[in-house]
Amino acid sequence: MTDRLDRWADPPLLVLASLADEPKHGYAITQDVAETMGVRLSAGTLYAVIARLEARGLIEPLESDDRRRPYRITLAGADALAQQSERMSRVASVARERLSTRLGWAGG
Amino acid sequence: MKPPLARAALALYPPAWRARYQDEVLALLDDSGGGPAAAASLAWRALPAWFWPSRHLHDRPARMRASLATALVSWSMLAGLGLVFAQLTQLQGFTAAGHPELRWAYAVFDVTLAASALVAGLGGLPLWLLMLRLARREQRTRDTVYLLLPVLVPVAYLAGLIVTVRLVGGADGLSPGWFGVVTLAGFGAAAIAATGPGVALRRLQPRGPALRLAATAAGLSAAVMAVAAVAIVVAVTSLTLWARQFAGYHNGTVPGIYLALVVIAATVTTVSAARGTHAAWAQP
Repeated sequence: MTDRLDRWADPPLLVLASLADEPKHGYAITQDVAETMGVRLSAGTLYAVIARLEARGLIEPLESDDRRRPYRITLAGADALAQQSERMSRVASVARERLSTRLGWAGG
Repeated sequence: MKPPLARAALALYPPAWRARYQDEVLALLDDSGGGPAAAASLAWRALPAWFWPSRHLHDRPARMRASLATALVSWSMLAGLGLVFAQLTQLQGFTAAGHPELRWAYAVFDVTLAASALVAGLGGLPLWLLMLRLARREQRTRDTVYLLLPVLVPVAYLAGLIVTVRLVGGADGLSPGWFGVVTLAGFGAAAIAATGPGVALRRLQPRGPALRLAATAAGLSAAVMAVAAVAIVVAVTSLTLWARQFAGYHNGTVPGIYLALVVIAATVTTVSAARGTHAAWAQP
């Protein structure tokens, strides 16, 4: 069941979160997402997400001399990420509170 | 050396997608190692890239032109497969007692093929005339020839067919060998005739309401043609299962190959036309 819930990790959100601090190219994004968020993004998923985010103006490519083109989050992307983070934070807060009431779970 | 599987998977993507992202994906695979899992994930994501093309990779007219060019060729192949079907089944009078769905399939095929051709012809005519005027005004002889191929090639093919039948046809018509020859020649002629306007579309780059109308008509025509393809599948399956007199098809291999070709042609036509129609009606 836990594995199935992992699918809730929304790849576009992971990519936006990865780009929130600084521009990164594809491999750096997959490494960052794996190390900091514990999710491995496949090449197919990553570039499907990049294409979608770029089409919606949430990220933009930067000039690059080699094939490893970096992307950076746009203002619209940062705004979308902030809204979604706030929503997730509320969900997490409610979940923690109710679990602690019912099971005495202290979180971790 | 790039992983061959991943390269093959990238070949499944639309050209515009590959032009924009292929080098980056290959660089990622260089860094991370592209095993079968990476190839599988790329292959899995290729289909949505066709169905929902990224808006930023195309301007809308270019998207419509590319879709029209592809849909025209695949539609012609599907229509050719349909005519072969009609020639070898309903025109030979094959029926299956106790299976009325076969007659229904024949009727549906006839109506939908005619309707699809009519919609495509009427919807595409203003664009064809527009391009013809454009080519003539700018004295682009080669483009004029490309545009006239859908008229010239079928006429030449039919003339060749009549001569062939007179020269080598017997009392029962053409032998199976000659039937195969004229059928293959027909597909070749259809491909050339359909490719002409596609090339002209790429070279002349028309825009405007005529292009939008043609893209919309292509979507409607493809949807109707998909129904014809379903009718073919129903009829051929019914004949194979229940009409044992259906000579030469007893082992199921030939109908199987034929149906696979029908499904491929119908899928390409539907997807391409849907992409063009989507571009025609998408918000700017």
